[in-house]
Amino acid sequence: MKNWIGAFSVIDFISVGILITAVAMNALRRLESCVKAYTLNSWLLSSLIAIVAFMMGETHLYIASFVTLLSKGILIPMFLRRIVKQIKVTHDVDPYISNALSLTISGILVAVVYTSLKEGIFVAGFSKNVLQISIAVIFIGLFIMITRKKAITQVIGLLFMENGLFLAGFSLTFGMPTVIELGVLFDMLMGVIILGIFTIQIRRAFASADLDKLTILKG
Amino acid sequence: MMITILLIPIVTAILCYLLRNHRLIGYVNLGGAVILSIVAVPVIVSAIASPIGHSGMFNGMFYMDALSGYIMAMVIFLGLASSIYSISYLEHELNAGLIDIKGLRRYYALLHLFIFTMLLVTAANNLALMWIAIEATTIVSALLIGLGFTKRKLAIEAAWKYIILCTVGITFALLGIFIAYYASIAIVGTEGALNWTELKGIAAKLNPSTMRLAFIFILVGYGTKAGLAPVHNWLPDAHSQAPSPISAMLSGILLNTAFYGIMRFTSIVEPSTGSVFTGNLLILFGIISIAISSIFILVQENYKRLLAYSSIEHMGIISLGLGIGGPIGIYGALLHILNHALSKPLMFFASGKIQAHYGSTKIENVNGVLSSMPLLGILTFIGALSLSGTPPFNIFISEFAILKAAVDKGMWHVVGLFLFFAVIVFYGILSGFGRMLFGRTQNTEDRAQNTDKESLSSGFWFMASDLIMVLMALLIIILGFRIPDFIDGTIKACINVLGVK
Repeated sequence: MKNWIGAFSVIDFISVGILITAVAMNALRRLESCVKAYTLNSWLLSSLIAIVAFMMGETHLYIASFVTLLSKGILIPMFLRRIVKQIKVTHDVDPYISNALSLTISGILVAVVYTSLKEGIFVAGFSKNVLQISIAVIFIGLFIMITRKKAITQVIGLLFMENGLFLAGFSLTFGMPTVIELGVLFDMLMGVIILGIFTIQIRRAFASADLDKLTILKG
Repeated sequence: MMITILLIPIVTAILCYLLRNHRLIGYVNLGGAVILSIVAVPVIVSAIASPIGHSGMFNGMFYMDALSGYIMAMVIFLGLASSIYSISYLEHELNAGLIDIKGLRRYYALLHLFIFTMLLVTAANNLALMWIAIEATTIVSALLIGLGFTKRKLAIEAAWKYIILCTVGITFALLGIFIAYYASIAIVGTEGALNWTELKGIAAKLNPSTMRLAFIFILVGYGTKAGLAPVHNWLPDAHSQAPSPISAMLSGILLNTAFYGIMRFTSIVEPSTGSVFTGNLLILFGIISIAISSIFILVQENYKRLLAYSSIEHMGIISLGLGIGGPIGIYGALLHILNHALSKPLMFFASGKIQAHYGSTKIENVNGVLSSMPLLGILTFIGALSLSGTPPFNIFISEFAILKAAVDKGMWHVVGLFLFFAVIVFYGILSGFGRMLFGRTQNTEDRAQNTDKESLSSGFWFMASDLIMVLMALLIIILGFRIPDFIDGTIKACINVLGVK
């Protein structure tokens, strides 16, 4: 089994899958598909951690993988789907820029990350590509946050950033101690729930789920 | 004992949420804050004398030394002040129909949870635990800003900006922590590799280029939370839209807890990268913050936003002091944290009362505070003089110390820029508050309304909130003339903890 993982470079395949689901966010038009892309991304992240746990034979990584699956793969997507239903806008993500342009920019982001991290910190981890991919996912998440109008898409962008961050932390250090990891995930879960509450509040107070109405406070 | 300190606010929060009578909730809230201060004093005193850790189940998780004690003392003092002030403030809001009993319960529960999260920041030994606590402060305080008060569209907008910007910022800080963890496990292995106590010993051996990268991420991340420009955009909105006691907490101490994270991290990074790298970055962020805020202070028309921009300015000054470094620079920065934690909450408390009286946060709608409310006017005047850095008030002393450190090091460009912007801020704050304090009071029609309002807000708790403001003003004046020995000793112990020579 271990040889099999190495021979077919499963880890690289999964991490590329993580990158592709993030890039796909640029092309998706419906909010529901965005949530699906995020779910897939989290499952891939969790399975990556599980495979590395298997390779290294570390118990605490199995726990990390399970907790990731539970929170990011099941609870948060469920919650997001409920919000999407409540705000009643399933169609049209309404980006500020066209899909083609945003795909191009994400591609450039990935390329920039790859070239600039070539000679950067040396990672003695399990794969050469994982750190680059994780940083690229962080930047794509940030880019999605900047270019989308809907409040809920900003939340999804933030979640992608956090997935990328987890991957980065994981590739650098094989994860934090379990207690800490639990704390971070708990914070994230609470954060998403509260952002969800605010999304619904914005919908109620401004009669719109778009953020370009939120420009009263300035200066 | 440290665990007791952390438990008291949680218990208070739960009690406040469960009770149904608004008066009773007020008493429980006050009781919780008072018990917390009584329990905390001996712990803080002993922590300042010598560092205390915690053995047993949470071994290695919690730790207190002079610096954490110093910040924790401010958290507890301002927590107490805010819970006293909140009683009369919320009674007024309740009578005005801006909040219902459900919102009131939620408010007090969240207030004490907020205090808990900040205490956790100061008591955490573990870098990542501290990150968790700082993120938790964002979540709790965003709820305090945005919820509870009905019909406040702008508050939702402010809270949304706040939580999104700070979460993104702090995500980068976590990346920085991962990188630091990566650097430290290369030396000590995974056991306790993120603990201050551990990192302090091995700081000089960490890989400099890795630590440099980690520092940049941490500075950007926690800098967002501390309100350093150019990532400060959430701050004026959040501070101006929050209820006044919460604005006081946000500005007086929340920014400082985030800055506490930067200070701790700087002391770990400096031994390996050298102080020039960290110092220059901190000075750069400091000067940018002072410059941007001074311009906004000059043109500001809303007094709560003016105070918020003034917070950015003061965080910039603290960053400058830390960046210039040396015993005098750090002394100035630490003293400035204390001074700002006294002056700014005083001003926010006062502005809450002004807002309740005049029903507006526009400077042009407020006139003659000194003649219509003499005590409040005098307190506001003292606060404004202190914030603008006028001698002989407290903030002048700490700003002077930071300037002296810059002159000693021959950083004339820093001195010049700082003085230039300090003059702009001086004019901006005093002209803004001058227009509010002096001048004639409003016409009689408004007066009639106001007396009506005043009868609502008079009473024992109103006096108590005045009393706490008078106490703060007295501390401001005393600190302007002489720094008491125990504060002096504490700050020197903090400098020792940070390892500055």
